Amino acid sequence: MADMLNVAVSGLKAFQRALDTTSHNIANATTPGYSRQRVGIVTQEPQSLGSMNLGRGVKVSSVDRYFDSLLTAQMRLASSSYSRLETYADKAGSLNNLFSDNATGLSASLQTFSNALQGVANTPNSTSARQVLLSEAQGLVQRMQTYDQRLDQIDDEINVRLSGEANAISIAAANIAKLNEQIVRQQATTGQPPNDLMDQRDLQISELAKHVSVNVVAQGDGALNVFIGNGQTLVVGSEAGRITTVADQYLPARLSLAYESPGGAKTDLTGVLSGGSVGGLLDFRREMLDPARNELGQIAVGITAAVNQQHRAGMDLSGVMGGDLFRVGGVGVQASTNNDASSTATVGVTRTGAGALTSSDYILSYANNAWSLRRADTGAVVPMTGDGSASTPFSAEGLSIVVGGTPAEGDSFLVQPTSGAIDGLGVTISDPAKIAAAAPIRTRVATTNLGSGAISAGQVTNAADGALTDPVQIAFIDATHYSLNGSGSYTYTPGEPIEQNGWSVTITGAPQAGDTFTVEANAGGVGDNRNALELAAVLGKGVLSGGTESLNAASSRFVGRIGVAANQANVSRDSQQIIYEDTVAANDEVSGVNLDEEAANMVRYQQAYQAAAQVIRITQEIFDSLIRATGR
Amino acid sequence: MSTRISTAATHAAAIAQIMKQQSALSKTQSQVASGKRFETPADDPIAAARVLDLERNQAQLKQFGKNSDLLASRLNIGEQSLASIGDVLTRVRELVVRANNGTMDATSRASIASEIRSRAQELLDIANRRDASGEYLFSGYSTATQPFARNVAGVGYTGDEGVRLVQIGPNQKIADGFPGSQLFMDIPEGNGTFVTQEGVHTGTGSIDPGQVTNSQAWVRDSYTIAFTAADTYEVRDSANNVVAGPATYTDGGSIAFNGISVTVSGAPAVGDTFTVAPAGTRSMFSTIDDIAAALMGPDTPSANATFGTRMAAALQQLDQAANVATNLRGEIGARLSAIDNAASARDQLTDELSASVSQLRDIDYAEAISRMNQQLTGLQAAQAAYARISQLSLFDYL
Repeated sequence: MADMLNVAVSGLKAFQRALDTTSHNIANATTPGYSRQRVGIVTQEPQSLGSMNLGRGVKVSSVDRYFDSLLTAQMRLASSSYSRLETYADKAGSLNNLFSDNATGLSASLQTFSNALQGVANTPNSTSARQVLLSEAQGLVQRMQTYDQRLDQIDDEINVRLSGEANAISIAAANIAKLNEQIVRQQATTGQPPNDLMDQRDLQISELAKHVSVNVVAQGDGALNVFIGNGQTLVVGSEAGRITTVADQYLPARLSLAYESPGGAKTDLTGVLSGGSVGGLLDFRREMLDPARNELGQIAVGITAAVNQQHRAGMDLSGVMGGDLFRVGGVGVQASTNNDASSTATVGVTRTGAGALTSSDYILSYANNAWSLRRADTGAVVPMTGDGSASTPFSAEGLSIVVGGTPAEGDSFLVQPTSGAIDGLGVTISDPAKIAAAAPIRTRVATTNLGSGAISAGQVTNAADGALTDPVQIAFIDATHYSLNGSGSYTYTPGEPIEQNGWSVTITGAPQAGDTFTVEANAGGVGDNRNALELAAVLGKGVLSGGTESLNAASSRFVGRIGVAANQANVSRDSQQIIYEDTVAANDEVSGVNLDEEAANMVRYQQAYQAAAQVIRITQEIFDSLIRATGR
Repeated sequence: MSTRISTAATHAAAIAQIMKQQSALSKTQSQVASGKRFETPADDPIAAARVLDLERNQAQLKQFGKNSDLLASRLNIGEQSLASIGDVLTRVRELVVRANNGTMDATSRASIASEIRSRAQELLDIANRRDASGEYLFSGYSTATQPFARNVAGVGYTGDEGVRLVQIGPNQKIADGFPGSQLFMDIPEGNGTFVTQEGVHTGTGSIDPGQVTNSQAWVRDSYTIAFTAADTYEVRDSANNVVAGPATYTDGGSIAFNGISVTVSGAPAVGDTFTVAPAGTRSMFSTIDDIAAALMGPDTPSANATFGTRMAAALQQLDQAANVATNLRGEIGARLSAIDNAASARDQLTDELSASVSQLRDIDYAEAISRMNQQLTGLQAAQAAYARISQLSLFDYL
């Protein structure tokens, strides 16, 4: 009977533990990271009675948590990807919103500028039309600068976010290391897993995975070692590493993440870190922000080059050849902070033409006694011609590079052909009369001409020709030959251009001997609008990408490209969200608390407890009857 | 379907479902409110980029419309000037016809001359007309330079031959006027092929402007019709070779050679000559000045014959000038009709562009409203379901 009592008491104790655990589960039904626990109930070792074995009741072997490390690893992986895409899509969305207003957008500003040019073409002598053109040119500049400044702001926001990320990663690492220490100690003393501490540690690791992708390796003593990115150690046992920010080697204002050793030495982790919000920020900066700034700069360079070239071919209201209408920032060259202190290398880069220019950045580096150029984004080597001297500079992809001084082995420079262009963008003309709406030359048919020859209005082919506006008389010696200013004899073909002094005219029809045509300076030609019409057409002409893409097309393609990227980022985020939620659900299926289940368990354990209690009562009754029977 | 699901996940999933429905509903609602299918390029990048291009084209067409209006008003101003020129030429022609009827005495001619001189001044005023912004209409590119001025040699042209074009379509540019040289100065002389004149004149012979009878046979040269006797003439070219005659002269008979024919009438004296020279150009001003000068000539038989020759030439010259003005008016008409054609093409294109933009960007209200109703129903159902399911708990039955 003593055995019966013992067995009943073992049941009572076991079911009390089970009820405790159920109650713990219910209490933690909404605790983040909590894994439901269960008591491991096993039979006691039986009592051997020689011929048979008699059961001795029940005992609690352990309290375990429902946990699947594989599912948890999958969830973390999905969480890193989702967090990366969410950050990326969020930033892409702000870039997208920047360019979303059609009414005041880049395309509209270009069109307004073009319309203002038409306005000058309509009334070339009107100061108000010219003033409108200058205002619209200024408006275009301001529009582009607003975009550029907003891009800079987004860049700054990323720097601030990265500092925060570094902090969050360091804190999570410290927490994980501390929990590692506690878990190892408890497991060593009790031999039982400290479930709630392990849940907390898993939660911290999952938090970390939202910031950067993690890799977890379990140790025999219960500790978890954590690696981030491509194998950078973050936590080993109870030791946590520190993540901090470091300035980019070329661009001091730009931050990257670095691993800071206890000694304070920093290792740049750019290119090592991936996934998580850190990966999203770094990828967005590399894949969308930098290209957007460069492409916008490329459009600015294209506008400046094309408009200026045409403007220089014209003549202003006072009869002077046109100057530049726009100015634009130069090519940025940044020396690496890693360059040897002994290096005296200087690098000067200028643009040679908008058509050959790309939207890429380049790294110019010196190794094995030779300079080489490669793309900053892909690392692809770009062949250069020339020797880098002032007389025969290096030439590649629309750039002319002059190197000087004495470089040291391993020197490198970041070359940014377009990114700083908008910073220096401006309208150079403030006097409306300086707009070159007229062509500098005009043509005239002598009134004494007898033939039917007609001459075109003429076009400027080289505005820099010093003799451009010198009068030239085209005199026909006979019906098929002409002389220029009385000398030479050239064969006349109707419609063939006649080129001289940087202009080109065509004569058609049948001139007769003695007929003369004159090309002369367009003196007093204030009503002429030929150059304004040419200027208005410039935006629709192939200027960029080797002369295949017009500025209009480039600006709508630019907006479209950002839209496509933002759209893709949203779609990827949404699909990754489903994957992530699936892994959370799968994990939850194993570890999550179901209150109905707990209610049922509670009923089950309560009934078992009550039954065990009844056993004790019965034992007592049996004992009482025995006492009564023997007491008579 | 999983075998077990945690209570927290049940709630989270239900709430997530409701949030998703709400966000879809809010998007539909904003589409219905704005009437646009997408708000930013990311919503539909392909359509957004296309809309940008279409809207730019629309803006460009609008500018071309403005350009056309300006061009039409300039052409109308030019048309008015041409009409005034036509009036002047008609009036001068009437005066010449009146002066040429042979009964006029010197005084009457002088009074006609005085009116013609004032007409010449009127013509000069028209030629120096300016538009509303003070630019000369007929000076080519040099719109700030007065194009016509009277000097000792007559009226000279100081403008140029520039023609300003206005763009009214992507590939269509139309001139907004004519240089003064074309309108006033470069009027074909005589009948356009040759011009007749008196040479030595002692008799009373006069010559008409003549006509081309066979343009193939015409040899471009200066010819002299010389009277070797009162009734005999011969025609010599510039190299002094005889090309016709000697022949007998009949009063009012035609003298034909090298594909042309001229008529000499009256009684030329021996040694009198007439010249036939290749036509050049002559300005309207010079023609009218010449008429005024001829009207001031003496009233003698010989001088009257000269007067007749000059009047005949003048009439021809006035017709040439009127011709030029008429042709240019026709040209303006053609340009105005080209503007009209371009305008209707532009209107059609604008409508098409608007339709395309609307198709790409505007929502289908019927579809959107029905979608919104569906989403509303879905949201209500999700909320109701959550309210019911969240109340289910085994604990309630313990």
